[in-house]
Amino acid sequence: MVSIHVDGLTRRYGYRVALKNVSFEIPVGGVHALFGNNGAGKTTLLRIISTLLQPHAGKVEVFGFDIEEEPIEVRKRIGVVGDKPLLYGELTGRENLKFYSDLYDLETSTANAIIEDLAERFDVKRWLDEPTKILSTGLRKRFDIIRSLLHNPELFLLDEPFSGLDKDSTEVFRNYIEDKREDRTAIVTTHNLALGSEICDDFITLRKGEIVGKGPISEFDGNI
Amino acid sequence: MVTYEVNVMGSGFSYALAIAKKDLITQMRKRFEAFSMFLFAIIAVFVLGLVLFSSTFIIADSPTRIQVMTEIGSGMLWVVVFFTGMFGFSPVFISESETGTLKGLSLAPIPGWSVYLGKVIYGFLLMGLVEIFLVPIAMGLLGFAFSPEISPLFILITFALGTLDLAAVGAMASALTMPAESKATVYPIVYFPTATTALILLVEITRMLAIGLPIIGPGILELLILLSGHVFAMVMLSAAVFQFTLTA
Repeated sequence: MVSIHVDGLTRRYGYRVALKNVSFEIPVGGVHALFGNNGAGKTTLLRIISTLLQPHAGKVEVFGFDIEEEPIEVRKRIGVVGDKPLLYGELTGRENLKFYSDLYDLETSTANAIIEDLAERFDVKRWLDEPTKILSTGLRKRFDIIRSLLHNPELFLLDEPFSGLDKDSTEVFRNYIEDKREDRTAIVTTHNLALGSEICDDFITLRKGEIVGKGPISEFDGNI
Repeated sequence: MVTYEVNVMGSGFSYALAIAKKDLITQMRKRFEAFSMFLFAIIAVFVLGLVLFSSTFIIADSPTRIQVMTEIGSGMLWVVVFFTGMFGFSPVFISESETGTLKGLSLAPIPGWSVYLGKVIYGFLLMGLVEIFLVPIAMGLLGFAFSPEISPLFILITFALGTLDLAAVGAMASALTMPAESKATVYPIVYFPTATTALILLVEITRMLAIGLPIIGPGILELLILLSGHVFAMVMLSAAVFQFTLTA
C-alpha cells in the first residue's frame, strides 16, 4: 500500500527549475525524512503534495487520489504544518481551532472533545482562550500543530515542524508522531539532521530539484 | 486520548458562513477598518454635500434646486459607496495572503467557491453595516429623500443588490490582486471596470426612486432586473473560476 506516488514531477518558477523529473513512492505508515539544503526543492515538493501548487509535468497521487483531479479528497487526508502558523491573531486559540474544525465539518461535540484532548496533550489548555497574537512563537506553533491534527489526518506533511518549538514541545510532538507511526504516514523536512535521523525510518535527499539519494535511514551518511 | 472518526461532507454554503463569521468576529475586534470606512464615507459625503449646496446656492429659492439636489445627490451617494467599497473590499483576500492564513483556507477540504462566497457575505455585511449609518446622513447632507410613493421594500432591494454586486466584484478583485507586487495599483484597475456597470445602474435606479417614478412600467423594474443579472453573473462567474486564484 502506497501513501504517496510521485512520477516524473517537474515544477518551475519562471525559468528556474525547482523540481526536475522527481519520482518516488512512500509506503503507508512510518516517518520519512526529506533532506536538502535551502532551495533544494523540499518545500515546493510538499506544497505540490498538499495541493497548493500545480505540477508543470508528471503525476502525484496521495492514497490513490490525483492531486490535480481530486484535490478535496487529498486535503481530507493530509495535515500540514509549515514554518508559519496558519492562525488568526484576533481570534483565541479555541476560536481558531473551532473555525478550522468547521471547515473540516466536525460536529461541535466531537470538535470540542478533540480540541480539549489535543490542548491537554500539547499543554496549551491555559492559553486556549487567549488571542493568539499575544502568544509566543512556540505556543502559536503548538496551536498550529493542533490545527493540523484536528481531522485526524492519514498523512502528515511537516515542513521544519520543530523550528520555534522548545525542548518539551519538540518531545511532545515527536511522541505524537511516534504513537501514530504504525498507521499514519509522516513526511518531515528538517535541517536538524540528527533529529531527522533519530525519528525517521528512511530518507530522500534532494539537491537542486533532483533526488540524489534515498534509502533506509541507517544508510544516510549525513551528506546533503 | 480521544479516539474519533472524521467524516468530511459538509455543504459549501455552511463553510462560506463559517468563513464570513470568522471575518466578522475578526473585524469587530479590530474595529479600525469598519470605522475608517465609515469615516471616509462621512467625510466624502460632507465634502460633496458642501459642493452641491454652494453650487446650487444661486437658485436657493427655486424648486429647481430640490430637483437638482435630488437627481445629483442620489447619484453621489453611490459614488461614495463605490469608493468606500474599494476601501473595505480590497483587504478581504490581500490581508489573508499577507498573514499566510489563506494557506489554511486553501488546505481545507472545501470547494474554492465557498471561500469566495464567504468573503462576499462578509463584504456584504460589513458594507451593509456602514450603509445603515451612512445613508440617512448622506440623505441629510446631500439634500435628497426617497419619494414617499415608493415602497421602502424597493429601496431595500436596490441597496441589497447594489451592495452585493460591489461585494462580489470587490472580493474577486482582491483575490486577483493577491499575486501582484503593487497591490494598491492593481486593485483599482481590476475593481473599476467591473464595478462601474453596477454603479451606473445603481445611480440611475436610485435617482428614479428619489424622484418617484412608478415601479411598474418602463424604468426601475427593468433596471433592477438588469442589476440582478449583473449580480448573478458576477457571483457565478467569480465563484466558478475562483479556485484558480488559490493554486499557483
